[in-house]
Amino acid sequence: SFFPQKNGISNGTLYKKTFIEHFEQAPMYVAVFTFVGFAVGTIFGYLRDFMRAWGLEKRNIAAEREQQKDFVPLYQDFENFYTRNLYLRIRDNWNRPICSVPGPQFDLMERVTDDYNWTFRFTGRTIRNVINMGSYNYLGFAETDVNALKTVTIELKKYGTGVCSTRQEMGTLDKHVELEKLVAKFLGVEDAMVFGMGFATNSMNIPALVGKGCLILSDELNHTSLVLGARLSGATIRIFKHNNMQSLEKLLRDAIIHGQPRTHRAWRKIIILVEGIYSMEGSIVRLPEIVSLKNKYKAYLYLDEAHSIGAVGATGRGVVEYFGMSPDDVDVLMGTFTKSFGAAGGYIAGKKGLVDFLRTHSHSAVYATSMCPAVAEQIIRAMKCLMGLDGTTQGLQRVRQLEKNTRYFRRKLHEMGFIIYGNDDSPVVPLLLYMPGKIGAFARRMLEKNIGVVVVGFPATPITESRARFCVSAAHTREMLDTVSTADVLGDVEKSSFPLESSGERGYLSVPKPLVLSW
Amino acid sequence: MTESSAMALGSAWKQMSWLYYQYLLVTALYMLEPWERTVFNSMLVSIVGMALYTGYVFMPQHIMAILHYFEIVQ
Repeated sequence: SFFPQKNGISNGTLYKKTFIEHFEQAPMYVAVFTFVGFAVGTIFGYLRDFMRAWGLEKRNIAAEREQQKDFVPLYQDFENFYTRNLYLRIRDNWNRPICSVPGPQFDLMERVTDDYNWTFRFTGRTIRNVINMGSYNYLGFAETDVNALKTVTIELKKYGTGVCSTRQEMGTLDKHVELEKLVAKFLGVEDAMVFGMGFATNSMNIPALVGKGCLILSDELNHTSLVLGARLSGATIRIFKHNNMQSLEKLLRDAIIHGQPRTHRAWRKIIILVEGIYSMEGSIVRLPEIVSLKNKYKAYLYLDEAHSIGAVGATGRGVVEYFGMSPDDVDVLMGTFTKSFGAAGGYIAGKKGLVDFLRTHSHSAVYATSMCPAVAEQIIRAMKCLMGLDGTTQGLQRVRQLEKNTRYFRRKLHEMGFIIYGNDDSPVVPLLLYMPGKIGAFARRMLEKNIGVVVVGFPATPITESRARFCVSAAHTREMLDTVSTADVLGDVEKSSFPLESSGERGYLSVPKPLVLSW
Repeated sequence: MTESSAMALGSAWKQMSWLYYQYLLVTALYMLEPWERTVFNSMLVSIVGMALYTGYVFMPQHIMAILHYFEIVQ
């Protein structure tokens, strides 16, 4: 029924199973209406700024004191034009405070605004049992079941919560050593090191691995933590097009042929930074091709598996297992525990020499507080569950359930005719909205139906491609996924745009026909 | 007013308000405050009204000019 675009696989023999990714382009009038929407917002933004500047309207933004009016301006008004005039109008869809565990359903604090999102106040009521399509809870380990958290409570009573030191001083607990051994065993590598924060793992460890005179080849759509780490390191950064192997190969060849910019000396190191699953696109990295390129041109590979560890692969071991490759192919395996393990923190794994080097040379290892022992125990119990070491098959069941939920949800949304980006196997499902008016409308209407979603616009995405990002979880039931995909609001908000060669049966009234999906 | 005509009116009203909602979404008027929507709508209605009025006033002249060009009428 739908046309999968194979997106130009250059070397299809490296792939052991079909690799289908969708990046369908919307029709031209959608782009026209998107620009019209932004134009209207911009014109009214100028109008409101004019009124604020001339005192016709109360100014709610930060301003200097009267005595400092002639000084160098502290708050550059115009630069925040977009924030003040477009983001602020629909600001109530972000930073919503929740007051329960972010499981498949959660509770929200009800929040209203009297002056169009300049200030908020809490009414005191709680919105209960909102279906959670925004939390990164891929395997459903964010739970409050007392039996599941038994070992965590024991460790909490034994160690307390604070570590009060860095890894280098007195913050290395036996729990960290146990966790690192377990992570290394889970991934099939020699050694691993864990850090307290996932963002800091990337931004503090890349400067330890590369420096001036090295070359970083980074994907176009890499996460801010990777970009920050690359910039902090002082190495030269070159960007290749998203998941595009021809672009990467061209950059590698240019780097080796021409060397460093002025002196033409060979680069000290060439490192390729990619992610396992890209969180805004839902696309999976083309690992077999990248590994063959890296072996051919003698470069190093740094793989950030923040969203893919636990979420893809036959037993949840990430993209390396998904493609059937060995973990020795990747030089630096990085990942986070925030997404699939219901905890916080990150790890870097690889050869023993690499990890020993990072233990002394990484900023995060030397200066940052180490992971809380109760959180470490949560990761240990989640990982043991995944590996089957706790004596049950619950871990494997969770991975299979996530796979089933992902396929079901994606297929259902495709059959209904929405534009979804990304690989068929990735649990991150971005639904394209395009027009700025729809961003706020979608999130608000979904909340009215008791479904919580994350909508993203500029600058996290390109300005014309704003989207709603669903994160499928193993803890979601079939009924929850049905509720979300057949929510009336999807029809109301989406139906105006897309003719969709995929489904010809949709009319223009609000309720889409319920589908019977054959498994 | 019979029941069926009331129902037809009700569903026409629902259809019209759904169309207005789509118009608000597509032109990003949904994000604006009510007075801004009024400003935009009145400007749009006045411009479209003026265009239609001009068309209505000049339509006979334009049709005569076209027919004269194609030498159907002298």
